[in-house]
Amino acid sequence: MTPNVYTATSTTLKWLLGTAWLLPLAGFVIEIFGGYWGGRKTKTAAWIAVGCIATSFVLSLSALLVWRGATAEIREKQATALAEHDAAHGHGHGGEHGHGEHAHAASDHAHGAADHSHAHTNHVHTDHADFNPLRTTFTGEFYRLARFGSVVVSMDYYIDGLTVLMFTMVTLIATCIHVFATGYMAEELTEHYEDHQVHLSGGRHFHRPGRFYRFFAFLSLFCFAMLGLVLAGNVFQVFIFWELVGVCSFFLIGFYVERKSASTAANKAFIMNRVGDFGFLIGLMVVLTYFGTFQFANTSPDEIGSPGLFQMVRDTHGHMVTEGDGREKVVLLQSGGNTPLHSQDGKQRVIPYWLLIVAGLGVFAGCVGKSAQFPLQTWLPDAMEGPTPVSALVHSATMVAAGVYLVGRFYPMFTPEVLLTIAYVGAITAFIGATIAIVVTDIKRVLAYSTISQLGYMMLALGVGGWMAGLFHLITHAFFKSLMFLCSGSVIYGCHHEQDMTKMGGLRKKMPITAYTMLIGVFAIAGYGLPGLPINFSGFYSKDAIIASALTYVSLNPQHFLLFYIPVVTAGITAFYMFRMWFMTFAGTPRDHHVDEHAHESPLPMVAPLCLLAFLAWFCAFRGEDGGLAHQILSSEPTHVRDGLEHGGILGLSLPSHHQIHEKHATAGWVALFAAGLGSLISYLFYCRRTLDAGTIGRQFWVIRDFLIEKWRFDELYDVMFTRPVHVIGAWCQGFDKRVLDGLIHLASHLTLQTAKFDRAVDERLVDRIVNICGEVTYATGRSLKGIQTGRLRQYVMFIALGVVSLFVLVFAFLPRS
Amino acid sequence: MDSVGLNHYLFVGAVLFVCGIVCMATKRNAIGVLMGVELVLNGANINFVALSRYTPLGLDGQVSSMFVIVLAAAEAAVALAIALNFYNNHLSIDVDRADDLRG
Amino acid sequence: MSDAALLTLTIFTPTIFAVLLMAFDKKAEEGMRVFTLIGTVVTFLLSLMMWQRFNMEEAGYQMQVVCNWIPTWNIEYRLGVDGISLPLVLLTGLVTMLAAVASWSIKEKIRGYLILFLMLETGMMGVFLSLDFFLFYVFWEVMLLPMYFLIGVWGGPRREYAAMKFFLYTLVGSVLMLIAILMFYFNSSQILDGKGIFSLIKLAEIAKSGQFNQNMQLIAFILLFIGFAIKVPCFPFHTWLPDAHVEAPTPISMILAGVLLKMGGYGIIRIAMPLCPWAAQYAAWFLVVLGVFSIIYGAFAAMAQTDFKRLVAYSSVSHMGYVLVGLAVWKINEAGQTVNPDLWLMGMQGAMYQMLGHGISSAGMFFMVGVIYDRVHHRDLNKFGGLMQKMPLYSGIAVGIFFAGLGLPGLCGFIGEVFVVLSIWQFSKTLAVIAAAGVILTAGYILWTIQRVFFGPEYKGPHGEDLSEMNGRESGVAVTLLVLAIIFGVLPSIMLDVMNPSTVALTKSLSEGYSNSAGSQPAAVSTPQVSLTK
Repeated sequence: MTPNVYTATSTTLKWLLGTAWLLPLAGFVIEIFGGYWGGRKTKTAAWIAVGCIATSFVLSLSALLVWRGATAEIREKQATALAEHDAAHGHGHGGEHGHGEHAHAASDHAHGAADHSHAHTNHVHTDHADFNPLRTTFTGEFYRLARFGSVVVSMDYYIDGLTVLMFTMVTLIATCIHVFATGYMAEELTEHYEDHQVHLSGGRHFHRPGRFYRFFAFLSLFCFAMLGLVLAGNVFQVFIFWELVGVCSFFLIGFYVERKSASTAANKAFIMNRVGDFGFLIGLMVVLTYFGTFQFANTSPDEIGSPGLFQMVRDTHGHMVTEGDGREKVVLLQSGGNTPLHSQDGKQRVIPYWLLIVAGLGVFAGCVGKSAQFPLQTWLPDAMEGPTPVSALVHSATMVAAGVYLVGRFYPMFTPEVLLTIAYVGAITAFIGATIAIVVTDIKRVLAYSTISQLGYMMLALGVGGWMAGLFHLITHAFFKSLMFLCSGSVIYGCHHEQDMTKMGGLRKKMPITAYTMLIGVFAIAGYGLPGLPINFSGFYSKDAIIASALTYVSLNPQHFLLFYIPVVTAGITAFYMFRMWFMTFAGTPRDHHVDEHAHESPLPMVAPLCLLAFLAWFCAFRGEDGGLAHQILSSEPTHVRDGLEHGGILGLSLPSHHQIHEKHATAGWVALFAAGLGSLISYLFYCRRTLDAGTIGRQFWVIRDFLIEKWRFDELYDVMFTRPVHVIGAWCQGFDKRVLDGLIHLASHLTLQTAKFDRAVDERLVDRIVNICGEVTYATGRSLKGIQTGRLRQYVMFIALGVVSLFVLVFAFLPRS
Repeated sequence: MDSVGLNHYLFVGAVLFVCGIVCMATKRNAIGVLMGVELVLNGANINFVALSRYTPLGLDGQVSSMFVIVLAAAEAAVALAIALNFYNNHLSIDVDRADDLRG
Repeated sequence: MSDAALLTLTIFTPTIFAVLLMAFDKKAEEGMRVFTLIGTVVTFLLSLMMWQRFNMEEAGYQMQVVCNWIPTWNIEYRLGVDGISLPLVLLTGLVTMLAAVASWSIKEKIRGYLILFLMLETGMMGVFLSLDFFLFYVFWEVMLLPMYFLIGVWGGPRREYAAMKFFLYTLVGSVLMLIAILMFYFNSSQILDGKGIFSLIKLAEIAKSGQFNQNMQLIAFILLFIGFAIKVPCFPFHTWLPDAHVEAPTPISMILAGVLLKMGGYGIIRIAMPLCPWAAQYAAWFLVVLGVFSIIYGAFAAMAQTDFKRLVAYSSVSHMGYVLVGLAVWKINEAGQTVNPDLWLMGMQGAMYQMLGHGISSAGMFFMVGVIYDRVHHRDLNKFGGLMQKMPLYSGIAVGIFFAGLGLPGLCGFIGEVFVVLSIWQFSKTLAVIAAAGVILTAGYILWTIQRVFFGPEYKGPHGEDLSEMNGRESGVAVTLLVLAIIFGVLPSIMLDVMNPSTVALTKSLSEGYSNSAGSQPAAVSTPQVSLTK
């Protein structure tokens, strides 16, 4: 691509996506002000919001097309090179090409001593430069936030195939959900909304004006934040929007502010996210301290800018250049090409390997919080306190997937050790979420736990080296999960805010569209399809890809066998609880006549999005990994993923290459399908045919059931471990201030007072006393001498005479005679 | 027997002085006391005059005695006035009754 | 208008207005209030004019005014403004103006109140604009007295206690400062052959050349630091703050939190550090530990409060901890050279931005508490709830301002906080982790407060019938603060660009001052340096 074309495309994309990003913000401002001063009974706010997000969708779609057009040539070249490469590979797999032919060995590394710890894949990468996703990436700056010497913090954009795809996905789903919400939230179009869930002190129900406009305002604000997160060109900017989506989520979960449960859930969500952000901040600190920039990459052709993180940490072949071993191991930073990066005083810039791990784990901690991964998963089910469209948009399709997105985006920075952590966290989460979903009876919470579990799946995929699989699942999951949430919303709307599945049943007759679109979603999430068939449920392809990656990973690293078995078991459980939910809700006979009588199909604005999403849930992954979606994702795959890794990092972990995964694909597909089939079958026997009685089994295994119903007791654990200690320490600090610090001050003032009193005492008792004694002695002497003055003249004369005589006697007696 | 010398004069002065003192100490009559005072003063005068005669003091002693004489006259006048007033108040000149200044 | 007149007028316009207030009839309360407001508006406009004339490319002091004041002692009337003081001058003008609007809620002895209020502004402006140590001290004291009376006369039930506590604490600080001032005077007189000086510029130059010896620097730094730390306030000198805030009337709380606390930070960056560069580096570790501890401690203490104002006061302790940390993340290597100067610069600018951001968010928080207190006359957090229904506009703006305090991106609290936190890692990894944990605690207490006050179905305290929406005057102040919080959060460069040249110059001259001072007595340096920076 010539610099001119690059600049032109970059500017076009910047404006298209920038506008798509800012439109919802404008919508928010108009809605919040217009709503405050406008009436409560108009749907204007909703149409503004829908208009904004729909326009954003159109812009995103055009951006997708522009991007595809501008990069078509490069991608074609890459594809050709790929094909040749694969051919060469197939040819050379027998070992004709020895390690000595590795291109990077011949490449010009300034440091001969560098131990290239990446390693010895079975590939020949002569044409490596052709697979670099940065060649199809457009980066640049919106405006600068701050500059500290050479450190620049700004609002950037980073537009590659994944960005435009995410934009299109988010805006499309958001549009559907906005339209759905115009129907779902219609009850709020009133001056007197009666909330049956809130009881006032007098036993009355709570009345308030409707909040239709506020809902759409926050929804728009959320879209703005989410799009900003996707568009972000540096990790600091991601953090900014990370928090902003968090706060939007806070407002939307706590939409019914008068419900204690809602505001508590909102707080919980925000604070647990902040726990993750705490890790994120640490990651940012490491990144900033050692890299001096936050930018992902700088692909601008005019050579002015400094390299971004991805360019520093890996060379153009996608290898980390390392030196030393163990704790001394360092990663040599690159300058964007294949030359080392020097600091101002001419030294090679390095980052200790363990700090790179810390940075990766830190950023991943943020993702753990946002994507509700173990151990921070407990906020997501509580977040179902928000209105259902919120759950569909924020808590299934977009915001919670942001964690997965960031792991995918930040992938070049992760070392194999971090990836292993990600994989395990994902596996544990997937299992925990799935098991709890078995016993939950609230229809939205089933979906929430399912979301947790599926997000775990994506993390697992990314962790085992299936970069494409994870993000593929992210997109497909977004479609079918938002579909299912909207269906559940439709059910809840139809049943007048009844969410308990034990009171439903047989609804498919009353709400057929909802029921069958939901069924598509269930099939999609269970992952049904026939390997080899071009048209399968989207979930089939993505889940298949994940299981294949996991299987390959385990075959390379046999000690981590759990990373394969857990997802397979989870796949079975997923099918089980999803069918359980569908059977309990739509099949069989009504369990509660009160609910059943009022049930009705939802109006058109709600049903239409269901149909569109159902279509996408089924077909979006058309042709699987050979299809457009997968190729679009693959176009931004980090360079190093394709070739995998052999015994890399400190732990000597191997990552699968594309070729290896491809070999395992068929096996994995059948295993996953078998697990899903088994799960569905058991579910069918339990909840449709009722050959087996769920209640009896539950009673027999009551220990496990209660444990699951109490959500693995995480809430209690956290309450004891964190919440209460924090309050106790808070009270201590308060007490310390009151008792010790103020005590010291009071003691000081008390001492001052005491000293003053002592001073007074000394004055009064000592100094005054001495003066008084002098006076008293004088007085007493005078008094005692007064008797001498008798007033008798003759006596005086005698005294005088005797005095004179005695004086003479004394003089003569004592004066020395000379 | 030697001729009359300084010691004789001093002897007479001392006798006068002692007589005066005894007179002052024993007389209860204010006039008597006054007379004792005169005796003391004159005893002193004799000493002054004698010493001015026999020592190189010259006229100094005589001048002093002249002062004493004048002073004694003034003193006698004042003392007699006091005695008269005392008599007016107490119908007596017994000095032992004059103890108003007792401490 | 000449520069000299501009700076002088900025300081003394409030005084002139205070004097003119005497001419008003006792009963013309409304007139006096409006007149005071005009005075503060004029002052603010003058400070804006200063900004407009300010050259953002230049690092040094601009628009300097120099006159002899007490020639015998070389005391000058020396004013000037640079990138460090200008933002604070603007903040002072702004917060005082808003506080003047908020002063309508004061009903008693209005003339005295307004006169003291204006005198207070003179003191604050003077502190930020004076470049002579003695003049600085004078203004410092000028600011102290009106504050004492404003709390002690117009305060709440325990006002005497609070006012006395405030006064004594600050007085201890200023006495220590006075000792340091004299130390510098006599030391400079030794260095300059009997001609002692008070000029901060010249003193800083002497310090930069390393002529103050290390012992002297250390003692002076300790004295100055305690003096300023009381004002910041950082643990363990902070207990006057909650009491003063709780008892002070709303507008005074706004000024106290919005401006007065910044004087501590300003003093450290303008006086303590440039005059004692060696000691500042020597104590850097201690300062950062103290700052980080204040962050965590303040947050924990805030969590335990039931009094709304006390909670906000403790949040100030926590937030001002970041200022201390940001200024002190100065790391040197064995050779005495500054390591990662860019990150230290980041910390320093972050700290200064934190002062601005906190000036806006805390003034806003106190104002919001004041609004609700005026209506229901209590501040018990457990007796609120449901305000979102009764006062939607108030609640919306208040939640926005509280989120600014929480450090939400896009609002003013975030920028300073995050830059400071990011700059700590290169200084100490452990402290960085602890400081970062502060974000969780902050979110905890702010969200809990929001939940208890604004959310929930109904109001639980007394005087529920008085909960009326904000009037125009109140909404004006609240909206201004929220808008500024957003602007400062979205476009930090408008202020960071002002600060940049001055802070760059400052960090450079501090590094130089350090190596010059350290070079003069190399033997004494090596031991503490190693033990402190490891």
